[in-house]
Amino acid sequence: MDVKKDILWRVYLCFIAMVLICAVIFGKAFYIQQVQGQHWRSLGDTLHLRWEEVEAERGTIFSEDGQMLSTSIPQFDIYIDFAADGLREKSGKRFRENIDSLSLGLAALFKDKSADEYKRLLNKGYKEKSRYFSLKKKISYREYQKMLKLPLVREGRNKSGFIADVKSIRLNPYQMLAYRTIGLDRENAQKIGLEQTYDAVLRGTTGKRMVRFIAGGVAIPVDEDDANAIDPQNGKDIITTLDMHMQEITENALMKMMVGNEAVHGCAIVMEVKTGKIKAIANLGRRPDGSYFEDFNYALTPTEPGSTFKLATLIAALEDKKVNLNNTVNIEGGSWQYAGRTVWDSEQHGLYQVTVKKAFEESSNVGMAKLVVNGYGNTPSQFINHLKKLKLDETTGVDLVGERKPVIYKPGSKYWSATTLPWMSFGYNLMVTPMHTAMLYNAVANNGKMLKPYLVNTVVEKGKVVKQIEPVVVNEKICSEETLKQLNECLRGVCTEGTATSLFKKAPYTVAGKTGTALVADGNRGYADKIYQSSFAGFFPAENPQYTIVVVVKNKPHAAKFYGAAVAGPVFKEISDRLYTLYVKQNDTYYTATSQKDTGWFQYAGNTNEVKQVFSKLKMNYATPAKETDVVSVISQNGKAALYNINVTQKQMPSLKGLALKDAVAICENIGLKVAVNGRGKVINQSVQAGSSIAKGQMITIEFK
Amino acid sequence: MAEQLNIRDISFASLNKQQLLRNTRGDKYIWGIVILLALTSLLVVYSATGSLAYKMYKGNTEVYLFKQLSFIVIGFLVIYFLHRINYTLYSRVATVLFLISIPLLLYTWLFGAEINEGSRWIKLPVINLTMQTSDLAKLALFMYISKMLSKKQEVIKDFKKGFLPIITPVIVICGLIAPANLSTALLTGATSLMLMFIGRVSMKHITLAIIVALIPVAMLVSVAVMTYNKEEGKSTITKAVAAGRIPTWIKRVQDFMYAKDETVPYQVQQAKIAIANGGLFMGKGPGNSTQRNFLPHPYSDFIYAIIIEEYGLAGGAFIIFIYLLFLFRCINIFKRCPYAFGAFLALGLSFTLAIQAIANMAVNVNLTPVTGVTLPLISMGGTSFLFTCAAIGIILSVARNVEQLEGKEPVPQPVVNNSEAS
Repeated sequence: MDVKKDILWRVYLCFIAMVLICAVIFGKAFYIQQVQGQHWRSLGDTLHLRWEEVEAERGTIFSEDGQMLSTSIPQFDIYIDFAADGLREKSGKRFRENIDSLSLGLAALFKDKSADEYKRLLNKGYKEKSRYFSLKKKISYREYQKMLKLPLVREGRNKSGFIADVKSIRLNPYQMLAYRTIGLDRENAQKIGLEQTYDAVLRGTTGKRMVRFIAGGVAIPVDEDDANAIDPQNGKDIITTLDMHMQEITENALMKMMVGNEAVHGCAIVMEVKTGKIKAIANLGRRPDGSYFEDFNYALTPTEPGSTFKLATLIAALEDKKVNLNNTVNIEGGSWQYAGRTVWDSEQHGLYQVTVKKAFEESSNVGMAKLVVNGYGNTPSQFINHLKKLKLDETTGVDLVGERKPVIYKPGSKYWSATTLPWMSFGYNLMVTPMHTAMLYNAVANNGKMLKPYLVNTVVEKGKVVKQIEPVVVNEKICSEETLKQLNECLRGVCTEGTATSLFKKAPYTVAGKTGTALVADGNRGYADKIYQSSFAGFFPAENPQYTIVVVVKNKPHAAKFYGAAVAGPVFKEISDRLYTLYVKQNDTYYTATSQKDTGWFQYAGNTNEVKQVFSKLKMNYATPAKETDVVSVISQNGKAALYNINVTQKQMPSLKGLALKDAVAICENIGLKVAVNGRGKVINQSVQAGSSIAKGQMITIEFK
Repeated sequence: MAEQLNIRDISFASLNKQQLLRNTRGDKYIWGIVILLALTSLLVVYSATGSLAYKMYKGNTEVYLFKQLSFIVIGFLVIYFLHRINYTLYSRVATVLFLISIPLLLYTWLFGAEINEGSRWIKLPVINLTMQTSDLAKLALFMYISKMLSKKQEVIKDFKKGFLPIITPVIVICGLIAPANLSTALLTGATSLMLMFIGRVSMKHITLAIIVALIPVAMLVSVAVMTYNKEEGKSTITKAVAAGRIPTWIKRVQDFMYAKDETVPYQVQQAKIAIANGGLFMGKGPGNSTQRNFLPHPYSDFIYAIIIEEYGLAGGAFIIFIYLLFLFRCINIFKRCPYAFGAFLALGLSFTLAIQAIANMAVNVNLTPVTGVTLPLISMGGTSFLFTCAAIGIILSVARNVEQLEGKEPVPQPVVNNSEAS
């Protein structure tokens, strides 16, 4: 018992020691929490909490006809962490086992390197133990999804080391069409075009939120209703005035001429007369490899306009009643000495005494020079004031950044010389943009009302219009009615009796326009290289103008074809031809045969059961075939409804007439067709006619109305 | 006849619920404590493994909940079986286990798996579990010491006959654990010395043992001081100076000695943030820990910090209280046990567990340098959980025998009619 007692006090001593240690532990915990608590808590917050920016979704740019011109899509850059534990464990067993199949898979997916090359690449990265090995950049979401299914990659990030860096990039589905105008939103570079002009609208506002980092590098928002958090405001969409169909026509027409003539650069603008909307705008520049691309906004770059500017001269002279169209002017056979320089007409026509109208139609520089020298020789400012009134001395104000100011010299300036005024009359010694030319011709087409050209119709937020942009009148009346009539006469004359006669001989519509052929100064080589800028500006149909089109093409040195009528004219005509058939003709003359409608006759079609249901609900009698098919058509027969079978076979196209979308698509897809639809309502037309034989996978377009 | 009955007793002759309850004996408080700790472990481990589950199972956190649950179930089976065995059997088992653990430790040291740098683990065949051999060795050692202390009471003050036979196994085991896991070796040594003090080993001899043991520790600390560049606040120790795990030890000592606020090691910093996050009485609430995402091993080595974060200081104090209560109940068993081996067994194993708990908590509140000690019965499963259960089963076996002797449990009577019983 003595021994046990001896032990017991030792036990209690130890127990008390333990209790004391426990007290110390508790004390220390208390100290950490209560005394130093604030320090540790704030340290914890600074270590694990971050303000994170929440990117707003950038708005989409639409065309007027509802096509997507520029939108944001995700893009992935793929990196590999070759030091990933899962990849390296067991001295790289997983890597070695998968590298062959992975290389094959990558090669098959991306098709940019062979499997061997991929294998070499992966081995290199593995050897270097690179933690952020760039495998492939800019892959699409679809490719990314496919990549995730490849061997090794499918084992997840920890085991494969595959890391995807997601970025939101802008996609232009129409690629080159109006590319420069729609613009770019690039990383590390200046935005251009509408992307830049409407950046504030498209961008939205970046939000902010507090996030806490947890396992695996994942951040979670700290507090859903944190007062300090700012929700991102997604960017608004903009709907432009551009029409992709017209744009395509315009771009193609221009491209054809550019390629054929190996031109340096060119642009074409289509403007809606009544509103000033720019419906299409093409800018093409030749690249070193001979191809063309939308590389610069030529439509907004001032150049010497050449003969198309003669319209402004004529407006001034007619307004001030310096002349009338029937006055004669001696055009000296095509060349005229003035103040020590020679005014050349672009063609040696051999004409002398002609009317002012004829001088304009033949695009005589001599005629125009004489007009202003006689009319404004002593009062050049009066002429300049006319140009000011026509807004040719300031930017057009089109909603596109990068427009440069035109250059119009003023009397008394150091650039003003004795020849300035006469040369101005035919479009030299001054610089305006093709957009100015378009605005001027459009004003004439629009009964003298000058409108500001514009590119954006509406700003839309979540499908709701938040801002509607209306046409802006720059000048209510640029000239008198009488002058307008005369101008129209002259411009029409150009296309019937003047320089563009042959061009529009067979056109089913009338054009009022003006050719232009300007010798362009080429840097310090001056005019020696014979670089011509061919242009054509005009509107059609002349009697009821719908569209104004301006085409400007800068030719290569010593080009064989350089006349406005030969280079820019055909582009204009191709555009106007197509626009006429597509958009103008119907509005122009609508001859509809007004026949008496037979209200007793009807034809419908639909799902048999549903049709029967309707009849029974309406308590209507109907005739029915012996054995009904799934889909039937209902045709009136002597005032009574009769069901007719629609036989659907894999070999023959059935008639879809009268069917609703649901039934029509179901039938087509059942027999293996690929369907595209147009319009709404019931089927009125089908691109594969009833009764014709069909093949699996064939396309069919169904029109509804 | 008695032997036969014993076997019938432990071998679930009938899984009858009532019989199972009737057969569950031993100290009721200790049973209660074990259940309480196991429940706590379920709650905290479930919460703390979130981040691990994210890494290993793509966020399927239930995996660890069920793993822990199955460990608890197996652990309880272990306790039940072991407490049904007559503890005198453990006297023989102790020697066998001790002898087995020596080659096992050697094997681990030379061929073991490396988890967290030190090679402390061996992979068990068939059941595919990694086992920390030191856990087994510790259990074996303490059982063996209890046996030796009870056997040598007569000659305990004698150096040759009393002291040496007891200290030798301690030195062997600690020496074998040390290369892989110095802190466990030191802790095991200290616990052994305390048991020897309780077991009336001469203070002179104990002091001598402490002095001898302090020599390597002193060397470690002095190397740590010497290789620490105070101006740069960096350790200048290189592989050339020391090999194996020695650099890690030195680094840890340095971390502890020269810790300033900015330079506290990451785990310590995060543990303190966790403690600071919890309140006095109310923590963040079950499952609301945020530090589990940053604290390394929040489900084992740093589980106590998570407990304070989620259940407040009060929760932390309660856990301390539970462990002390456990120790107190075991002392009670010791007092009631008339046989020296049983008494020492209860004392030795309970003190070991309590000391391990205290060590874990001390690390968590940064009283001592960071060591990989788990919180008994609370830290997530693994073999150490099962060895803890084994220790508790043995303690309960002693308690059951004490109760039997005191007449609370009837000494099993021979069953007259076998068919009636089954």
